[in-house]
Amino acid sequence: MRSSISIFWRKKDSYYKVLLTRCKRCGRASFFARDVCPYCGSSDVSIVESSGRGRVVSYTVSYFRTDSNEEYLPLIIALVRLDEGVYVTGELRDVEPAEVREGMEVETVLRRYSSDDPYGLIYYGLKFIPVIKRG
Amino acid sequence: MRDVYIASSSMINVDRHFNRGYKELAGVVVKDVIEGASVEQPDYIVVSSMFAESSLNQLDLATILTQHLGLKPVPAIRVDTGESSGLAAVEIAYSLITAGRADTVLVVGVEKATEFPTRVTNRFLSKVLDYEVEVLRNITPPNYAALIMKEYMKRYRVSREELTIWPVKMHENALRNPYAQLKFKITPSKVLNAIKISEPITLYDMFPIGDGAAALILASSKVARKSGREVLLVRDVVSATSRPLYLRDDITRFESIATLISMLRRKYGFRIDDAVYEIHDSYSIYAYIILEELGIARRGASYKEVENLVYVNVSGGLKARGHPFGATGVYQVSEVYNIMVKGAGGVRFDGTFGLTHSMSGPDYNSRLCLLERVV
Repeated sequence: MRSSISIFWRKKDSYYKVLLTRCKRCGRASFFARDVCPYCGSSDVSIVESSGRGRVVSYTVSYFRTDSNEEYLPLIIALVRLDEGVYVTGELRDVEPAEVREGMEVETVLRRYSSDDPYGLIYYGLKFIPVIKRG
Repeated sequence: MRDVYIASSSMINVDRHFNRGYKELAGVVVKDVIEGASVEQPDYIVVSSMFAESSLNQLDLATILTQHLGLKPVPAIRVDTGESSGLAAVEIAYSLITAGRADTVLVVGVEKATEFPTRVTNRFLSKVLDYEVEVLRNITPPNYAALIMKEYMKRYRVSREELTIWPVKMHENALRNPYAQLKFKITPSKVLNAIKISEPITLYDMFPIGDGAAALILASSKVARKSGREVLLVRDVVSATSRPLYLRDDITRFESIATLISMLRRKYGFRIDDAVYEIHDSYSIYAYIILEELGIARRGASYKEVENLVYVNVSGGLKARGHPFGATGVYQVSEVYNIMVKGAGGVRFDGTFGLTHSMSGPDYNSRLCLLERVV
């Protein structure tokens, strides 16, 4: 078992929703639900749910092979600016590398991160996909 | 606070040492460095090995290594700060002596990065990022180097071709380093056409995978003088932590380095042009940024100055000397020590300062070691 079931259970809100930590002391918001503000260290924070929508700021097509991600290569890692003004790095799916554009609108979906091969646990979480505009 | 000196250093060639384990690799440099300093036994041993738990399945590696080397009852401790662990080990050794808790400290950096196939090693080394927020979500260190490189190229209008100068130069330097892992010339075209890692990063923008071991004896004044060799003062070892990449206001900045170098200049009168350097060029784009943060080159223009650098990464750097992770920080100090004391690779530095820079990930933490020649 590569990863802990306990971690996924404990942090399921963070892995299955896009949660942000908003700090009442310094006013900044950051990705991932925490009990401490990673900017100023204050524990006077509140958790807010993001729409999960945003735009691609930058991206890279990754061929870096690990024994966890082999079946998903190449994968696209994007730096996304959520509509709330918070930056997130995460995987971008359902799009060919050649079609990715800076400024592209994206939204969040539940996908598979990795699995313990071949009969083990499957780890799910959120990834970005392009927003399809209906023409 | 007492002065701390380097009394001796030792390293082995960085390579895929399939026929030797960590005990054998460490054993060679420990024996050499203890003899070199003319000491019986150190008071303390500080060990750095980034893959101890992962590749080696070993907790408390410092103790097990000390037991194996027959050095009881000497206390031992392992330090982990990711890729900069080697310099963190020097930092702890320095702190022990300066505080008067030890007179002689053995620092050993040893890494076996080749115990498993590369794709497994790649999974291990990705754990320098936040497991819960980054690693589990399939983000790996080269992805960050790629995002940083793209932003840098866009911001400063620098082309991919212009950024090939660093790996080319590192390979040239390594030709004269008998300990280097990669000893062959490369061309800009080879860098551009090498295997894609995370575009635009290619294989020749990043370090090779290799094993290594390096050791130092750090000592107080009374012990150092006994070795009879010229000694080098460890003026200070300072470190700082930066924010994760997705929380940064400017992803082309390595703020910890800027903070630390400013502190060293203020406190010790460190002069940029009177120093020999070894910097942590895990990815070529990081080298350009590090040069700028240290004040060696102007922001966005360091690639223009690489050609003229004589005293930076004479060893060939992480790119060509290699990056045996936990040992790298110890190699760097050893290399600067050699260049300043007796010359290395046909280069000798007669100036005042030596500065080594070691970091983990994209400046998740950075450490600087300031060495000074004493007359």
